[in-house]
Amino acid sequence: MARHQGNKTNSELSLAEIVAKYPDFPRLIALKIDVQRRGVHYTERALAAVDYSIHQMRSPYLFGSRDGQIKDLPESLLLRDGTTILTDPTPPDQNPYHVDLVDGTFALIDNGQFVEFTDLWPKPLYYDKKTSTGIPMSHIASARPQRLNVFQSSYCHFWAEDQGCKFCDIVTHTKQQKSEKGVPTRLKPSDISETIKEAVKESGRFTNICLTSGSVLKGKELFDQEVDFYIETLQAIGENFTTKKFPSQLISSSFNEKQLARLYENTGLMSYTSDLEVLNEEVFNWVCPGKASKLGYQEWKNRLVRAVDIFGRGNVGTGLVSGSELALPHGFKSENDALKATLEEAEYLAERGVTTVYIVWVPRPGSYFHDQQNASLEYYVQKAQGLHNLRVKYNLGVDFDDYRRCGNHPDSDLSRLL
Amino acid sequence: MGTALTKEIVGLLTDSRTSKVLATVDEKGFPHAVAGVPLHIGEQGNLLYLEYFESSATNKNLTRSIWFDGVVAIALSNAGQSFQIKGRPIKNHITGPLFLKFYQEIRSIQGDVNLASVWEIEPVEIIDEGQDARREYEHTKRPFFTHLDRIAR
Repeated sequence: MARHQGNKTNSELSLAEIVAKYPDFPRLIALKIDVQRRGVHYTERALAAVDYSIHQMRSPYLFGSRDGQIKDLPESLLLRDGTTILTDPTPPDQNPYHVDLVDGTFALIDNGQFVEFTDLWPKPLYYDKKTSTGIPMSHIASARPQRLNVFQSSYCHFWAEDQGCKFCDIVTHTKQQKSEKGVPTRLKPSDISETIKEAVKESGRFTNICLTSGSVLKGKELFDQEVDFYIETLQAIGENFTTKKFPSQLISSSFNEKQLARLYENTGLMSYTSDLEVLNEEVFNWVCPGKASKLGYQEWKNRLVRAVDIFGRGNVGTGLVSGSELALPHGFKSENDALKATLEEAEYLAERGVTTVYIVWVPRPGSYFHDQQNASLEYYVQKAQGLHNLRVKYNLGVDFDDYRRCGNHPDSDLSRLL
Repeated sequence: MGTALTKEIVGLLTDSRTSKVLATVDEKGFPHAVAGVPLHIGEQGNLLYLEYFESSATNKNLTRSIWFDGVVAIALSNAGQSFQIKGRPIKNHITGPLFLKFYQEIRSIQGDVNLASVWEIEPVEIIDEGQDARREYEHTKRPFFTHLDRIAR
């Protein structure tokens, strides 16, 4: 494994070398990771072939991109095994993969060499519609190939106290998105309900609805108001379904049992995720100062375990911004140490029914960690395999956050085989 | 490199009376065969297998095959004709126009059913397994494989 030296690694293995070294790891998932690590750049030839009527262009999102810009580019990519890649547009001088045309088909190119054909995400029909209040529906719910994302509020209260997570650019991006695109920072439940109603008219298009937003600290108890917002939103979404429960994921702050019970009993929510971001208390305290000061690492973790009693084994998860645990100067000093610590903590959680997934950290201009570098491909491959192995060992499903319901976790891509 | 579907194969695939079996292999090498599978012919001349269940053993085995360059076998038989097609899964459609077309089509015919994937399988070898073809092969190419009483005076 590459040795982490400051914010650089030496002896980093290439994709081809990783594939040769780990023959039991799917090449397409390794490719996905590498594309996420390095980002993409669309060639002029590729952009000329984009068809706005069938390809999904970038729509509002909670976080920004590596180039810090909001450009009219294709949203993202699909590989031939059905794997989704959420990509970050990246300046060409940062050595991204290129998306080009080969024999008339979109393809990933690395330093001039063909790597793999790819598809652009198909545009959902509702993207051409507006709500009755005149808001483009793409501003209310953003689509992935099989999931609907609702970001009901894109302001994070930790930022107000200058205690935002150091890898995060949520508020910077929100301001930019509002000023450049007019995207509302708070969504009305009626607009959300109307948009979901329209989206699910497209038969076969969606399998899951994911809600997430910035943390809201207000309320009688910490996060009470955030819970209220989610209940209101989920109830509005639920109006569109015949069953009380509908395939859904909430990624939120860490709620207590009373709050979780309120959520579960009063809405159609089927799974619960609260992100610890990094699985080590000391590093967490540094990377996530707001979460650390308001609740603390241990309580955040304990609440996840307690959530299993309400949502059930395999329906509770925590997400990691993988690679940020190696940030300078207080992160882990080596990838080996980071991997060991992460998998130990993930095993503690898995034993108790909580599943752990990661996203590949992309250092973004609007974040505190803007000038740092993410980890090696080998680190991410080993981590994906390690987290998947824990799910196998503990017979722990991750259906609510898999390759299709989410598509942003290389480790749960592997869990397609569970 | 793929091989083109013959006229006989196309005829069998489009005949509803044809018995269609898809065999895949799990991670331990155990075969897993499913009969009566929905198979269609794609625009590129590949086979399209409609997988209704995300959690099925076949779906997992196909995923493993596309990841690790594995092959699958498809057996077709009808009215004395019998063919085996060795194929390689090359694409899994979980969204997009092809997926949506089949999703909507099967629901319009079968009612409330789900569709997980449309697997595109490139044929790499076609073997005629019909009695006549096998008999002719053994007679001309493997003449030792017989019983003497069959040729006794």
